[in-house]
Amino acid sequence: MKPIPMHRTEPDRVLLEVYRHRFAGIAEEMGLTLQRTGYSPNIKERLDYSCAVFDAAGAMVAQAAHIPVHLGAMPASCAAALRAVERWKPGDVVALNDPYQGGNHLPDITLVSPVFAGDALVFFVATRAHHADVGGMSPGSLPLSTSLFQEGIIIPPVKLYSGGTLCNDLLTLILRNVRTPEERRGDLAAQRAAHAVGEERLAALFVRFGVHEVLQYAAHLQAYSERMTRAAIASWPSGTYHAQDALELPDGRMPRIRVSANVAEDAITFDFDGTDPIVQGPLNTVLPVTQSACYYVVRCLIEDDIPVNAGCFAPVHVRAPAGCLVHATPPAAVAGGNVETSQRITDVAFLALAQALPQKVAAAGQGTMNNVTIGGEGEAGQRYAYYETLGGGMGAAPACDGLSGVHVHMSNTLNTPVEALEMQFPFRIREYGLRRRSGGDGRYRGGEGIIREYELLRPATVTMLSERRVRAPWGLAGGGPGAVGRNQLIDRDGQAHPVPGKFSRRLEAGTRLRISTPGGGGWGVCED
Amino acid sequence: MADLVGIDVGGTFTDFVHIRDEEVVVHKVLTSPTDQSLAIGRGLAALSAGPEAVIIHGTTTATNALLERRGAKTALLTTQGFADVLAIGRQNRPHLYRLAQQRPRPLVPRARRFAVNERVAANGAVLTPLDPEALKEIAAALEACGAESLAVIFLFSFLDDTHERTAGRVLQSLLPGLRISLSTDILPEYREYERTVTTVVNAYVQPVVAQYLERLMTVVGRRSVWVMQSNGGTIDVPKAAEQPARLVLSGPAGGVVGAFKVAQQALDTDAPQVLTFDMGGTSTDVALCPGIIPRTAESMIGDLPLRLPSTRIHTVGAGGGSIARVDAGGALRVGPESAGASPGPVCYGKGGAEVTVTDANLVLGRLEMARFEIGNKHSAQAAHEALARLGALLGLGPEQAALGVIRVANATMERALRRVSVEQGYDPRRYTLIPFGGAGPLHACDLAEALGVQTIIVPRHPGVLSALGLLLADVTYTTARALLRPMAKLIGDHNEAAALVSELSVQVAAALGGSPRISASLDLRYLGQSYELEVPLCLPVGAPHLEASAAAFHAAHQQRYGYSMLERPVECVTVRVQGSLPGAKPTFADAPWATSDASIAQVGHRPVWLHSGEPTMVPCYDRTRLAAGHQFRGPALLYQYGSTVLVAADWRVGIDRQHNAILHHEAHTNASD
Repeated sequence: MKPIPMHRTEPDRVLLEVYRHRFAGIAEEMGLTLQRTGYSPNIKERLDYSCAVFDAAGAMVAQAAHIPVHLGAMPASCAAALRAVERWKPGDVVALNDPYQGGNHLPDITLVSPVFAGDALVFFVATRAHHADVGGMSPGSLPLSTSLFQEGIIIPPVKLYSGGTLCNDLLTLILRNVRTPEERRGDLAAQRAAHAVGEERLAALFVRFGVHEVLQYAAHLQAYSERMTRAAIASWPSGTYHAQDALELPDGRMPRIRVSANVAEDAITFDFDGTDPIVQGPLNTVLPVTQSACYYVVRCLIEDDIPVNAGCFAPVHVRAPAGCLVHATPPAAVAGGNVETSQRITDVAFLALAQALPQKVAAAGQGTMNNVTIGGEGEAGQRYAYYETLGGGMGAAPACDGLSGVHVHMSNTLNTPVEALEMQFPFRIREYGLRRRSGGDGRYRGGEGIIREYELLRPATVTMLSERRVRAPWGLAGGGPGAVGRNQLIDRDGQAHPVPGKFSRRLEAGTRLRISTPGGGGWGVCED
Repeated sequence: MADLVGIDVGGTFTDFVHIRDEEVVVHKVLTSPTDQSLAIGRGLAALSAGPEAVIIHGTTTATNALLERRGAKTALLTTQGFADVLAIGRQNRPHLYRLAQQRPRPLVPRARRFAVNERVAANGAVLTPLDPEALKEIAAALEACGAESLAVIFLFSFLDDTHERTAGRVLQSLLPGLRISLSTDILPEYREYERTVTTVVNAYVQPVVAQYLERLMTVVGRRSVWVMQSNGGTIDVPKAAEQPARLVLSGPAGGVVGAFKVAQQALDTDAPQVLTFDMGGTSTDVALCPGIIPRTAESMIGDLPLRLPSTRIHTVGAGGGSIARVDAGGALRVGPESAGASPGPVCYGKGGAEVTVTDANLVLGRLEMARFEIGNKHSAQAAHEALARLGALLGLGPEQAALGVIRVANATMERALRRVSVEQGYDPRRYTLIPFGGAGPLHACDLAEALGVQTIIVPRHPGVLSALGLLLADVTYTTARALLRPMAKLIGDHNEAAALVSELSVQVAAALGGSPRISASLDLRYLGQSYELEVPLCLPVGAPHLEASAAAFHAAHQQRYGYSMLERPVECVTVRVQGSLPGAKPTFADAPWATSDASIAQVGHRPVWLHSGEPTMVPCYDRTRLAAGHQFRGPALLYQYGSTVLVAADWRVGIDRQHNAILHHEAHTNASD
């Protein structure tokens, strides 16, 4: 592998903008290909995926903005692939989902592949997609687990394609370990197709402009984003700001997440020292997920439209003691950390910075993704695994009500159309609407949550991972809290029974699951 | 004998193209924004259109009512438990990283969203019958809230529309003045949110459009009127008033039709491969026509998905009025903010202070102030000073800064052209670029070079091509119905598909009158996917033609996404039927070859900055004096009413017998000869 010599020059201000469009266009087009050809409802309907371009050193050059929780986690995947592979060949594709080696939780399978210019490795492209099932103890692979080994098949960074040839043995092994193998096969093919698009588009740039210029502007764009991010942080009041919030465990305990956010000159450090240790249960997170949450918080507080790449992350430092619940160590269970704990990390980081930037930070949003997985067998005996997440109230901002019925912070997936869902799965939606008066009071009101009621047409295993069922989303500046969420089972006689935020049960046909998602917190004292 | 008037309403001007016995008259009047028919009356009075003239009209009344939220007081009736589907949308927030964000107001507020007990299951079975008594209460509530129009959307009505039709009938009898849109009439396809939005949009704009068309009919007298639809075909006034959602995306459609027809004639083929490039003041519309005018059923208007067939057009927020600035990180940005028509660019002298793309073109010598109807020497000087200020921030002189502005704007437009070509699996180097709109012909050579395009056709009247396109469109009507079946099943027993196609054909023929040419298509996907590709279905419906459609799907998937899966089952989702009647189309006779050469059209030279460095003295031509057979080399400027053409160096110009300017890239001319 020949290194390409880099001459660091001052960027042309015009080309800088031109290349921003070029790289962003490539990542977006990869995403569109994945969406259009994917099989999991998570991918094709809910857009639970990310696509990115990295330089040869593994620094992110561009990412199609879909899912913030992938912000810091995608670079970790690329780094893990770089560590695992000694020699890259054109046509190689590494697959991984191991949270302790570049993944975030097992359902998110990441592919990383190299892009060559001649015989020099110059870029990587990567896709991460949420697969509807990767095996493990419950359908949908978001179980109430206590160890990673219960959560599904663990894929360390391994070559799924070597020199363009599919490693059939590996694929066969993976597919035998999941509940819906044909769907997995289709999703992996869709990811591979997205990579082909990314590789082709980058190669076209090399032909048109020369690989030197393309590489230089990949570097210039990172420097540009770093400059913009540092300039913004430098305008924030220096100091150390503390905050804490908590999670809800099935046994009633509420482990704390603590942060001290230190703004010093043009950089910021989030230190999670004092956070409770790893918990028994699936709520731990690996460090890249914690980093994603912190990067997201900083990105939200910078109003300029800067391209998201490694430069944005350079002035943001994240520390957490190994073994605490936001820096999990093997074999801690992490299935829900990615979707639930990441939201609480975001909340606590915002709460700390609300002291520094009271006119910018919004009240807490619903603070959960309300993960629902339903699995069982259809009428013809075919196995299915269904996963979706539900929106809720967004927190009110200074001078702006919160949106109702949306995903907040670390997720932004779409819902699955009721008509698409009922045609594919043996359950029916009885109600889908906004949850009246669930937003927090205040000068600006928090957004309303959602009510969604499922009726099972056949027996099925239902697993829920949801938060903010006990501790309400907080208001700010005197605004009231949003309503806590509520989960209920309604039996055939119409009798409603409360169920906790996290449960996994085998339920009879005719049972209804009614979920009321939390409202957002309010902002400011209500004037009337 | 032809007496035809094309009338296209734009943001600033209403354009008229009048064709009478092969004579073409072009006319522009200022648009009357509150009632577009006023300007039409003025324009018609200025033309010598006879009392029997045929008028073909592109109106933005529906579009504007929707975008500016000036539609009717609309109510919504849904299945019990689903009244908020419209408000929830797809549950995503519009901006990923904004803590304070708002959505546009829903078209129907909470107080006018009603629900009724009824339910059809996913297999079409009735689970809960509709209660007609409950409709009486709803009628009372509709009256109490002052609803002017109503959209009715029940779950799975595309499988069984009895409940929707009953509700419509009962409510109409109780409230005769209410305008009712049923989802089964507007969009009988699956996905409740998209179906709801499309039906609500129809109900929301219907009273406004119907009233507008009534006023228009009094303005035009006895002349007959056809209205442009989003799909690039026209429709009569009663149908347009009934289903105005079909007009909402019609704005850019006329231009694409016009460009396509120009290319058909200029390239002497029925199936030209063209990229259309319509650059206006605030936005640019591009479309790729691979031998046909492409349609899609997946469009957005503002934040709303509209699932009715429209011309497949990609729009970006870059135009002559796009504002240039240097951001905090030191990068030069252009758009999406626009100075619009008011205050407009600095050089218009109407109070605009921020540098726009038009100002940059002026400073580079590519535009001549004297040809504007607005602005003067002082405002031109102001534009120069504004570019000098922008340049100071970049460490560049005014002309170099202006070149930068053009380059960034071109990057945005290049990305748009790539999105419709390379990203869909089409090689732009095989395509002909057709620039139009006020600014398109100024940027065409740069974009063609970036894309590797070798031929550009600048139509005779680029400034009014959309109005001309109206005259060239067919009369069309399309309809569709969900039919979720594995293709293997449809092929095994083709009677079901055949019956549906003939039922839809009858609907289409009834809507059009006469005996239209009928064509059909299917939306297909691999079983388990969620997105379909539309492929043609040859008639009559039979196993071989259905098999051919499935084969066409595999090929289309390969073209679009780079792979196909021949062993995977293919599923049909939607059946579409389109009917078309040829419109009363004008023909243009070929001009005789000129005996002169292009020098008779030359009107001097002027300094123009083409690339960095020093300006080049560039010859200028009066386009109206150029005649068939004239040839010359770039660089050159061509002046004409409503547009300026910049021919870059390395391009050779020839004028054809339709007065199109055909530009060939010289580097490729010899190779392709």
